[in-house]
Amino acid sequence: MNTQEARQVIFEVLGDIAPEVDPSIVDDDLDLTEQLDLDSMDYLTWMVGINQVTGVDIPQRDVSRFLTIAGAVDYLVEHSS
Amino acid sequence: MIDFLLPSLGADMDAAKLNCWLVKPGDSVHKGQIIAEVETEKATLEVECWHDGVIEELLVEPGPARLPVGTLLARIRSVDAAAEPLAPVELEPTTEMVATASAESMRKLSGQPPPPVRHLAHELGVDLAALGGSGPDGAITRDDVRRAAPATPEAPEPLVSPPTRVRATPRARFLARSRGIDLAGLPATGPQGMVSAGDVERTAQPPTTSDEPDDKVSAMRRAIARSMSHAKREIPHYYLSTTIDLDRSLKWLEAANEERSVAQRILPAALLIKATALAAREIPEVNGHWVGDEFKPSESVHLGVAISIREGGLVAPALHDADHLSLDELMSRLRDLVSRARSWRLKSSEMSDPTITMTNLGDRGVETAFPVIIPPQVAMVGFGKVIESPVAMDGAVVVHPVVTASLAADHRVTDGHRGGLFLASIDRLLQEPENL
Repeated sequence: MNTQEARQVIFEVLGDIAPEVDPSIVDDDLDLTEQLDLDSMDYLTWMVGINQVTGVDIPQRDVSRFLTIAGAVDYLVEHSS
Repeated sequence: MIDFLLPSLGADMDAAKLNCWLVKPGDSVHKGQIIAEVETEKATLEVECWHDGVIEELLVEPGPARLPVGTLLARIRSVDAAAEPLAPVELEPTTEMVATASAESMRKLSGQPPPPVRHLAHELGVDLAALGGSGPDGAITRDDVRRAAPATPEAPEPLVSPPTRVRATPRARFLARSRGIDLAGLPATGPQGMVSAGDVERTAQPPTTSDEPDDKVSAMRRAIARSMSHAKREIPHYYLSTTIDLDRSLKWLEAANEERSVAQRILPAALLIKATALAAREIPEVNGHWVGDEFKPSESVHLGVAISIREGGLVAPALHDADHLSLDELMSRLRDLVSRARSWRLKSSEMSDPTITMTNLGDRGVETAFPVIIPPQVAMVGFGKVIESPVAMDGAVVVHPVVTASLAADHRVTDGHRGGLFLASIDRLLQEPENL
């Protein structure tokens, strides 16, 4: 999975959880939960969705990598086959 | 013949528009089946039927007219004549105080297996009256219900897409709602024939102004205003709070989650919900409704969970029988409930059944919540954010994660002593997370 594909998956899943979000205004490097007003359930649902689409597992110790879009993209690129 | 009336839709919800029927005359229906979709100020609600039978006639056409709770919507021919005497009870109209509505009244009249068994039977569409029990003294158990259930546990949901419900992506639904566009007339070029966001954006219909009655967010604000004004006017609230050490709970949860995949992970909120539900069972005076001039306790704990809608507003639908759900079941129900609340798709019973509600403002960064009770309930529990705090323990000071639990309760029903015992129960239960 390359960066472009990872971004696409990440935003597709985000669109299911927070459909009001316009992807063009999301800052890749800011805390996602704060800028999009996601709660802990939204955040978990987002990671579950990414896991289901990509098959990439996200163990508890790696959850902090998903605090930003940039971190999530890097993680998926590193861990997908 | 059974009259199918527009059921109670939750506190201060006295009318709704009929969006569509999901059944037609001649269709067989069963208890728990969703047969219509209505729209209130707070949500699009899926209306459940509480009978087995056959649809005789549909008496109301879908349309913009606002129908009062209690409106005769359809007639259902009963399969079993013996069920007829129950008919007038379940969907009896109409004052806002009858918010406990259908399910509870049915249960009281229809034999007495314990709530989890009845709930499972309801979920699986099993008629308890037709079951023999294998438990002590012939009691019906959950296993009996599972054995009697149809092969697909999801059977109560309609198996085919209802003819008049439009399939659309979440963003398309959002855009259509915010622009006042009817999805029904749009081309569907999205995945699996769904209406996509692009389809909505390409339509020429102008956006509605925020003054339009269809603006769901401002309609929701009006509903909240009505309900909360009622609460502050009528309910003599008292408030208590206590600080709960979460060290044991969170350590236990961390270890449990370590072995779980992301899809099976449990959030701290699930522990708080379960502890609150169990404590409500221990102190029944906080669990029920103020109806007319007296408190009616509920034998089931249907815990309302406050869910914020990011566009503005709040709904607090019920997690049915929350005290009997495992943490895994709680998590999957909660995830489902949040997702449906956010897409404005809740069931009528979820809006009318809560017996006590909790709000968890921890994600939003405040330490203490001072909740306002949702009438006709008599208590609401709030949890703030988890913070690291010095805690005195065995003569030394240690730093532990703690949370402030607060209670707003109705002084007509309880006094501070019972309220305090309720919060103490929550605290005690959270010190034994392995038993939740």
